[in-house]
Order: sequence, then structure tokens, then C-alpha cells
Amino acid sequence: MNDERRGTGNKGLNAAVYVVLALVAVGTMLPFVWMVLASFKPLQEVEQANPVPSRWVPGNYREVFSQVAFARYYVNSVFVAAWVTFLTVLTSALAAFAFSRLTWRGRDATFQLYLATLMIPGVVTMIPNYTVMVQLRLLDSYQGLIVPAAFSAFGTFLLRQFMLTVPPALDEAATMDGATPWGVFWDVVMPLARPGLIALTIFTFVGNYGSFFWPLVLIKSENLRTLPIGMMYFDSLYGRQTNLIMAASVMSVVPPALLFVLLQKHLVRGIQMGAVKG
Amino acid sequence: MGARRKAWIVACFLLPNFLGFVVFTAGPVVFSLGASLTNWNLQRTTPTRYVGLANYVELSRDDQFWTYLVNTAYFMIGMPFAIAGSLFLAVLLNQRLRFTTTFRTVLYVPAFTSGVALMILWKALYNPDFGPINAVIEAVLRTIGLGGLEAPQWLLSTRNLFGLDVERLGVVREQFGLGARDALIFMGIWTGVGGGNMLLYLAALSNVPSELTEAAALDGASRWECFRNVTWPQLSPTTFFIVVMSYIGGLQGGFEQARVMTAGGPAGTTTTLAYYIYTKAFEEFQIGYASAVAWVLFGVIFVVTVLNWRFGNRETNLL
Amino acid sequence: MRVFFVAVLALMLVWTVVMGRLGGESVDPGRTPLVWTSDDNPLRKEQVALFNRLHPDLNLTLDPANQGMEKVIVQSIGGVGPDLFDCRDANQLSAYVKAGIALDVTDELRGMGIDVLGETWPAMRSVAVHEGRVYGVPTNIGANALWVNQDLLPRGVVLPSGAWTWSEFIALAQRVTRRDQSGRVVQAGLLFDWYNWPHFLYGFGGRVFSSDGTRCVIDSAEAVQAVSLMQDLVYRYKVTPSPVEEAGMAGQGGWGAGNINLFGAKRGVFALGGRWWLANLRKFDGLRLGVVESPHGTRREFGAVGRATLVNANGPRRTEALRFLSYLASPEYNGLVNDQADGICAFARYAQGDAFEHNPSYPAEDFNLVWRSVSARAVAPESSPYVNGQLANRLIERQLDLVRIGQKMARDALRDAARDINREIARSLDEDPALRERWEAARGPNR
Repeated sequence: MNDERRGTGNKGLNAAVYVVLALVAVGTMLPFVWMVLASFKPLQEVEQANPVPSRWVPGNYREVFSQVAFARYYVNSVFVAAWVTFLTVLTSALAAFAFSRLTWRGRDATFQLYLATLMIPGVVTMIPNYTVMVQLRLLDSYQGLIVPAAFSAFGTFLLRQFMLTVPPALDEAATMDGATPWGVFWDVVMPLARPGLIALTIFTFVGNYGSFFWPLVLIKSENLRTLPIGMMYFDSLYGRQTNLIMAASVMSVVPPALLFVLLQKHLVRGIQMGAVKG
Repeated sequence: MGARRKAWIVACFLLPNFLGFVVFTAGPVVFSLGASLTNWNLQRTTPTRYVGLANYVELSRDDQFWTYLVNTAYFMIGMPFAIAGSLFLAVLLNQRLRFTTTFRTVLYVPAFTSGVALMILWKALYNPDFGPINAVIEAVLRTIGLGGLEAPQWLLSTRNLFGLDVERLGVVREQFGLGARDALIFMGIWTGVGGGNMLLYLAALSNVPSELTEAAALDGASRWECFRNVTWPQLSPTTFFIVVMSYIGGLQGGFEQARVMTAGGPAGTTTTLAYYIYTKAFEEFQIGYASAVAWVLFGVIFVVTVLNWRFGNRETNLL
Repeated sequence: MRVFFVAVLALMLVWTVVMGRLGGESVDPGRTPLVWTSDDNPLRKEQVALFNRLHPDLNLTLDPANQGMEKVIVQSIGGVGPDLFDCRDANQLSAYVKAGIALDVTDELRGMGIDVLGETWPAMRSVAVHEGRVYGVPTNIGANALWVNQDLLPRGVVLPSGAWTWSEFIALAQRVTRRDQSGRVVQAGLLFDWYNWPHFLYGFGGRVFSSDGTRCVIDSAEAVQAVSLMQDLVYRYKVTPSPVEEAGMAGQGGWGAGNINLFGAKRGVFALGGRWWLANLRKFDGLRLGVVESPHGTRREFGAVGRATLVNANGPRRTEALRFLSYLASPEYNGLVNDQADGICAFARYAQGDAFEHNPSYPAEDFNLVWRSVSARAVAPESSPYVNGQLANRLIERQLDLVRIGQKMARDALRDAARDINREIARSLDEDPALRERWEAARGPNR
């Protein structure tokens, strides 16, 4: 596209685009900004209409750490999400390779089975999964949080789409040169599917980091609680400490935001390859 | 390469995921199908036994199930708007402008902000008396000379855009208006516009060959015609994917909102099937019945998907 | 790529080792650990500390995150349950007993000289005693009375020192309710929570279930009268804020600020609540609090909440857990509950005497005898063996939601609630022949 032509011909339009984007961005950010402001309010004032605190209480942030083991919840959340992400990406990539690169009997049927399970409501598997956890003695443990989440049909689906876009000529050439499937996987397909891996990394991390229900039913010990569970403490029958909920929420945004900012360029480049194949 | 060696290779790649998939996804699915055919209930004195389709029969007579099914469907009204919004934003972001990286990040913010905090916030925004949303509505109403009209009571009201009745299926006049269900829909649109769908569209857009749009532009097509006739067809696989994933998510959704914002109320109007399943299974312990509800939900999703697959694929081919 | 994955894996493993080192709560060697699942009331900490001081060989810890009944049951069945857990009403008790995780402690308690049936408030018994067997010890009671913001009372108003009725109260409440020009509530006459509907119900002699538990009778004339009053307080007498007004009063609100905070912020002259509100109200400065008996309808009976602590029948430390039950019956614990204002103590004999009436730390609180009197007149929440209590409550509250927002009359709502619950009873009987036999026996031969 000829940038010059566009630049001269559409100045007005560009300005309009900026205005619309800015408006939407403000709309998106306002609640977030409000959340940040509320996190600095004294408790009485959280209930009042002024968006800016009349008295700034940075102590809310300290209070979050002193009322509950917030640091520990923080570490737990990141730890669990990191393991889940690592395992999901690894196992999904391996399976995606089997579905996209290897030929075997029953491959397509198996893949369709994967797709079908995407349609099943999560609550369906909740109860049986809980029973499985009881059997495996994984209640109230990190493993119980990590293991069931680490084998994703969605991830396999997504990475398969990416791997299909890698030209088969490349791995055929590698095989000619004597590479094993293992070698092709690591040295040819995986590097080229990197954008997909990054996309899956972000989706998995963000999704698991915020997960609420599974840890709620599974975790018992205080030292294994994750952030979404830990934050419930500030909202009890004996008084909702909204200012502390807000402070805790602001802090909890940091890890996924950081990850997103670091990886987002690759993410966009990444999806485009998979999406086309649909 | 021997057949045995080949099988071994396939197993190495497939099994790590497949075993987990069987244990934690496929297995539980089969298990719950079985459970839906029993009277499994932690609170009963009789032992758990096979009851055939009794749960499904009971469910077909359960008024609550039907109203919650309607609720679930109702909540999906927002879906096309959210998708259209995502597309619109992606198109804007796809212009070669400065600051797109910043915009992209900012617009993705709702996706990783704690859901619970956001919902508390929205609850405040919807406050009928002091909330900013009604402040704006009241100002607008006054300006256009309709100051006498009452602003909506949002989360506290059972009213809705279609006038759906509260306790039974049907439409009644008193229920027309804006209420809790609509409030959740608008919130959903806000959260949905800037999230992953926008990113998916952005990616797909940057993949549309620019030669195509340029050629169309040279032929004198307007921007809208370019978009309609060139870009949109190119996006259809992505749209298809997003639509499928959205309604799967929509039909399974509504749990967190109900739990955090409304407790499913007022009078059950924001209870979706997902929340109903939770209530039945984890609060009332009727696990067999809850499993049956879940399987009906799966059936609905499956049928819609199959229809969509046929219709959607045809659409894709036509364009 | 390979290197990268191996590096990440190594990193994760190192991290895992570090996390393992962080470990659990520090375990004190030589002291037997005990876990108590209770709510997240900050007062619990002191109750735990006192127990540990009295029992140096035990180390009790609190586990508030797992108080949901479903969690206690599944965890206990799964073998990771707490040693002790709380039970909030008869429904929960029957669920725990049926799930087989509540230890029958009838004989043990008798051996320790604790008589739950004889020594605790009548309203508290059903939370610990199921079909004649004792499963736990009540911890406290939160019966409702009327909180008064004395600074907001006009001069010359004298509040009754004993019983009074709703009709006497309404005139006064209307007098003290203040609204601004646009009709917004500045100061509510009465704040009450709709979850207190049993309080109103009992005040009119209404019940949820017939005395044999075989039928839901929440559509009785008494119940209709009670719930109509609740609706009228809001929409007819306008002394209680409607849901919309209440949200407005919470400022930009919807923060779930709740009536305790509204009352503490002097936005209400009277409020229906328990002594446990004090845990919060003591934090507000400049309140002059009073308490009088709640008005009643046709019967001088009140609603109450309470808890009992039960022992996990599958727990490995049942003997030690029993020592906690004995602690709950001790003067030390009961005194602490009174001091902390965690309701009042469950054992009636400790809720008297000078130390109870006039707590030296809180000399302004001269109303403790009112709590004693309402606790004695409190009615236990009901249950029926023929229907799931959670389900029955949900069906009632779903109807009350409509009454509360002014969309349905009490009569219609309660008729529908009773119809729904009776349908559920019929359904349980259909599915469970043993239950039907019992139900038929309970109804008697003449039916």
C-alpha cells in the first residue's frame, strides 16, 4: 500500500479513527482507573460518589498484605499458572505434531473427539474431576491445581492449526537429511510455530491465573490459596472491604499484564497464521 | 520404518496429552453421562441407583430449567454486538497509525483484569440512584424533554427488553424495560469487544493481501465496498471460529456474574444454566439431576454447532 | 528451542523445590495439630488463641476458606476434612449426619458433664441435636433485637423497656424517617435485611413447615401477615428503604455496604440485628447505641442465627477434637464470646451476672440483658426431613425477591413458594420409598 497516498488523502479520516480509538480506549480504561482510585480510598469513602479520594490511603496496599498472606497467594497463583502454561504448551505441541505431521489410523476420529469435548460445559467435568482428585489423593495440593488443567484440547486444536501452516517441504527436507521425527519436531516445526506457542502461552496463563472455581472447590489450606480465592476474604459477612479488594485487584493485574506487554507483538503475528486456516 | 517403530513414535507425541485428556476430560464426560442416569444425591437416605431417563423427564417438567434456558439464550443477544465491536476496533487498529501498540494493550486490559473486581465496579456503575450510567441517562432524558421518564433500575429489576415474564415462559407488558439481564448483557459487550476476539481479527486483517483491496480501490470501489466485497470474505474463517467459540462460551457462561453480582436474582432472572447446574450440584447436592441438566446443555451446543458448521461452511464457500 | 524448553523446565523444577520449602503452616513438634473450619470472623482468632493457651499440648488452627457445606462434606469424605467444623442450622446438621461425617458425641458429652439440651438456649438445640442424638456443641447465638441510634431520636421519645408490637412501632418509625425534597431517604426509620424473614414469620406465629415436617405451610394466614408487613414497611409506611433506595443510600453504592454500615453511618434510626453487629459497630466513632426488644406481631418470638461445632467422624484426631467441644462449654470460652460480642454465649448460665450485664471494657453498653431476654425467646430455624433445606430456602427467597421489589403480593408469593416446596416434598417421596413410609407414619392414620 502506498503510504504517501494514504497519508495525504485521508488525514481527516485518520483523525476520526484516532478520536474513536481514544474514546473506546477511555471507555475501557475508565473502570480500571476508577478501580485504581478506589484502591486508595478510606473504607467509608469507597461508598461515596467522588471518584478521587479526598484522603489518599496508600496504606490499603500494606493492609492487603497484613490481613492475609497476600504475598503467598501471589506466588501461588503465578506458580500454578506457570506450571499449567508450561505443561499445556508442551503437551499440546506434541499432540498437535501427532495430529498434523504424523499419519496414523484413527487420527481424524481422535481429533474430532477432541473438538467435541470443547463443547461440553466445564461444570460437567467438575464433579467427576473432583472424584478423580479424591482417588489420586490430590485434593488440596499444587498438583491438584496443575495437573487437570495441563492437558488442553483447545491448545492442541490451536497449535495443530499453526503447524498445518508450516510448509511440509521443510520437514521432508530435514527427514531426507536424516532427521528423526523428534528432530523435525524440535528443529523445524516448533521454531516455525513459535507465534502459536506464544499465543497459547498468553491465553493459557491469563485464563488459568484468573481461574476461580476449581481452586475454590479443591484448595483447603491457606498456604495453597490462589489470588481469586484469597481476595474473597475481603468480602465477608462481617464487612466488605471494597478498598482492599480494589488494591488487591490492581496488584493482581501485574503478572498477566507484564506477560502480555512482553509477548504481544509475537501474539499478533502468531494468530494470523493459525486463523487463516480456521 | 517398521510399523512398530512408527506406532511408538506416534505414542510418544500423542500420549502425554491424550492420557491427560482421557483422564480429565473424556473420562469425566462419560462419567457424568452415567451420573445423569442415576439418583445420586448426597442428602438422601436411599442408595444411589440407576433411574434411567427419570432425571431428563423431570427436567422437561421443571419450570425453572426452562426459564433458565431462556435466560441463557437471552444473554447471548449481546454476542453479535460484541463480535461486531471487536471487528470494528480491529479494523481501526489495522490502519497504519501510530500508537497502535498502546491502543492494543489498553483495549486488551479487560481481558486480564480480575473478573471479581470488575463486577463489583459494574455493580456500582449500575446503581440506579447514584450510578454514573443513570446519571447520563437522566441527563439525556432531561435534555430531550423526557425528564418524566424513569431511568432503569438495572440489577434490581426483573424487566427486560423483550418483556419476558419472571416465573413462566411468556411475554407480559409489565416486564418491558431494562433490567438485570440487560445490565449483564451490556457489561458482557464491554468486556467482549476488546478481548481475544479483537486480537484474532487484528491478526486476520493483517493477513488480507493488500493487493486485493488496492485493486478494488483502483476499480473505483468505495471503502465500504472494499471492506464488504474484499476484506469481509477473507475474514470469514476467523469470523466462523469466533462465532463458534463465542456461543459455546455464551451457552456455558453466566456463572461468575451470577455468583458475584446478583446471586442469580432478582427472582432468578439472571440465573443461567451453568449457575443452575452449580446450585443443584454443589448447594443442593442433586448431582444426578445436575448432570442431566449439563447434558441437555451439551446437546443444545452440539446441535447449534452442527447447524452452524453446515450453514457456516456453506457461507464460507460462497463468499 | 529444545534448550529453551529444558531451561524452562529446570527453572520450574527449582521453583517447585523452593515452593516445597515454603511448606505449610509451621508445625510445632510435640503439639497435636487440630483444624477447625469456621467462618472468617476476625473474632475467631482470639477464640483459637485462648484454646491454645488452655491446651498447651494442642495446636488449633482456623480454616475459614472451607466453610461451605459442600466443601466440608466432600473433603471429609475424601479424607482431607477438618477435625472440627461448624454447622449453621438443622438442615446442615441433617446433611452432615446423612453424609456420615458428623460424629455422634451423645455419650462422650454426657461423660464430660455437658448437657446440650438442658443448658443451651432452646433455639440452639436443633443445630446440634438431630433425632435425639447430639452431634456437637453450640458456640453462640445471634438473636435479633432492635438497634437504636439514640442521637437520632427526637427528644421526649421513650422507648419501651419490654414487649411492643409492630403497630406501636410503625407510628414512631414514620415520625423519625426523613427524606429530602426529591424523596430520597436521608434517614431511615428502620433498616432490616430480607434474610431475616423468619424473624417476622415467628413474630406472627407463622412457620415454614407443619409441626410434623410433612407439609410446607408458608402460605398460612400468619405467614402472609408477616411478609405483608415486611413489604408494607417498605412501600406503604415507607420507613424502610426499598432496594433501589438502599442502593442509593450506599452512596454511589452497590458496594454491598449492608445495613450494619448504614446504621453505623447514622443513616437509620432503628435497625433489626443481632449482638454480633457490635463487632463492627464498635469500630464506628461517636455512636450512642441503644437496644430494645424487637416489636412483634401476634407472638413475642424472635428469629435467631447460631452455630454449633461438630467433630469429623472420619477425622484422625477425634479424641483431641472432643477437648475442643469441652472448651466450647467452658466459662472461659463463653465469657470470651460475651466480651467479643460474637452474639452471646450459647450456654445460658454464663449470660448473666454483673460481668455479663456491665462489661467494664465497654461501659456504654448497658443493654446486655435485652440480648439475654430475646435469646430465651428465639425460635430455631426449621427444617423438614422430607425436603432439602437449601432448596426450600432458595424457593422461598426467589419469591421473596419479587415481594421485596414490590412486584408481587405476599399472599401470591407465599402461595407459590408453598406450592413449589410441597411439589419438591412429593418428588422426594416418589424417589425414596423409605422416606415415604416415614412420611406416612408421621402424617398419622387419619390422612
